[in-house]
Amino acid sequence: MNPMLEIQLIAAVTAAACAVPGVFLVLRKMALISDAISHSILPGIVIGFFITHDLASPWLIILAAFSGIITVVLVEMIQKTGLVKEDTAIGLVFPALFSIGVILIAQNANDVHLDVDAVLLGDLAFAPFDRWMVDGSDWGPKGLWIISIILLISLALLVAFYKELKLSTFDLGLSSALGFSPVLIHYGLMSVASVTTVAAFDAVGAILVVALMIAPAATAYLLTVDLKRMLLLSVLFGIASAIGGYWMARLLDASISGSITTVLGLLFLTVYLLAPNKGLIAVLFRQSRQRIEVSLLTFLLHLNNHDSLEERRVAHLQEHINWHRVRANSVLDLAVKNNMIIIEDEVVSLTDKGLEFTERALDYIMTNKDEKIEDMKDDFFLFRG
Amino acid sequence: MMSEKIAVAVDDLTVAYNYKPVLWDIDLSIPEGVLMAIVGPNGAGKSTLIKSILGIIDPIAGSVKIYGKPYSKQRDQVAYVPQKGSVDWDFPTTALDVVMMGTYGALGWIKRPGSKQKKQSLEALEKVGMLAFKNRQISQLSGGQQQRIFLARALVQNAAIYFMDEPFQGVDATTEIAIINILKELRKAGKTVIVVHHDLQTVPEYFDWVTFLNVKHIATGPVKDIFNDDNLTKTYGINYKVAVQQ
Repeated sequence: MNPMLEIQLIAAVTAAACAVPGVFLVLRKMALISDAISHSILPGIVIGFFITHDLASPWLIILAAFSGIITVVLVEMIQKTGLVKEDTAIGLVFPALFSIGVILIAQNANDVHLDVDAVLLGDLAFAPFDRWMVDGSDWGPKGLWIISIILLISLALLVAFYKELKLSTFDLGLSSALGFSPVLIHYGLMSVASVTTVAAFDAVGAILVVALMIAPAATAYLLTVDLKRMLLLSVLFGIASAIGGYWMARLLDASISGSITTVLGLLFLTVYLLAPNKGLIAVLFRQSRQRIEVSLLTFLLHLNNHDSLEERRVAHLQEHINWHRVRANSVLDLAVKNNMIIIEDEVVSLTDKGLEFTERALDYIMTNKDEKIEDMKDDFFLFRG
Repeated sequence: MMSEKIAVAVDDLTVAYNYKPVLWDIDLSIPEGVLMAIVGPNGAGKSTLIKSILGIIDPIAGSVKIYGKPYSKQRDQVAYVPQKGSVDWDFPTTALDVVMMGTYGALGWIKRPGSKQKKQSLEALEKVGMLAFKNRQISQLSGGQQQRIFLARALVQNAAIYFMDEPFQGVDATTEIAIINILKELRKAGKTVIVVHHDLQTVPEYFDWVTFLNVKHIATGPVKDIFNDDNLTKTYGINYKVAVQQ
């Protein structure tokens, strides 16, 4: 395999491995914890490196993951005192652990093949150089093997404990009452997140691993209301950003990990703007439609309540309901277009259809019963909840 | 009539948050087959009592028995409806899926729900009048509908004892009546139903037993015997005569 392909493969598998725990971190509103873990595994990595002298040793991964778990425990201990809130506790713990790692590196800079830049940003471009040799034959980059094994383990755990993860994420109380210990599941998830972070760390660094965990999940969350689909989309977004980022880095001659994160950010921004239901543009459009429709209903109710010619003159309506000309005109247009009113000699009257609509809408407002408006829902945003 | 079997026995239960007692030395026996309200002011420890019976909160002292055995051995006898506000209704899932969660306990670890569990869940949805909404995303449901989903999830557990934390909170009048009718049916079927309740006015109409709680246990018994000014005053600290006689 050529190094180009290997780098893309490592990036894609890393992104997929991060996306899986990332979905649950986002749903549990624990995105910040992944930031904390990614920084505080540093002392674990450094100490592990002193002992094993091998950045790809499984012991190093376990040791580093252990310091990730310690972070979670420390955060919870500080939080339990009730003196500070969770975000403050996180902000206290991880810089402390991270700085220990930084000092350890600086102290031993001469004999450690680790530098702070690589720790923060990773060095994906060099990943293909560290190869796994068995009896003189080349089995490919070590990093790819490690992250692939971690991805497989985390997928196996996901399949086995999908129901437990879902339940304890949605409803902690019931999970506990049914005997699915939320503490056990929590630490299981934190262990997977820590191990994944350690393995991804080597490729993308401490800062960007957070983006790989959170951004794909946050993007998928905007597009689906189904947990399985959210997991699938997150993995796909992660992989697409990894490969897209690689090519962007080549094109711009820039850092690979930086480019991947940029693509993740752009992807999120695009979905945030354009998502069909939850997207910003869809929401704004819906709100403006609703405003006009509320006005229309107000207007129809007014017509329904007032029979006299004087009350129904177009000019009079504008000053009477106190609307600006533009708004009054757009409401009148909408009503005419839907055959709810007719305008004759500047006098507005309800049509049969308008009358029926008004009465049904009134019915709905009074009873708040959904079935009253089932068939009106297609025409009007207002009644879509 | 009601049997003399004790469904839930709470002994010397004390619970504290950060060393501040929330429940203090609670002794409580709930006979099988009652529909019981737990009433008390805000902060009286009503939810905490339920949560510590169900092992969600660890007490600092005391014990709880469900039909004579610890709760951890009797999980299949008990169904639980948490407060509606305790979960995130924006969670990506459907009404049917939430009801299916009620079957997880009987399944145990790792095993997945199958067609049998789905059938049970659909039946429960029908019982609470929510079958038409089975594929609706849960954030698209009204407060009353969400509460019905929670009730359906408890029904699917097919337990002997039901614990419900404020099932009437934030629901419309129609839903409230629908829920209380289902609870009364459960009692008729011999189940024990224990409800954290806020509205004192409806206690005599909805329930046959009541527990007064305010950090300490004040009284437990049939509504007709103990739902009186004396106990209300002891629990709420002010004279409730006027409010209740309306």
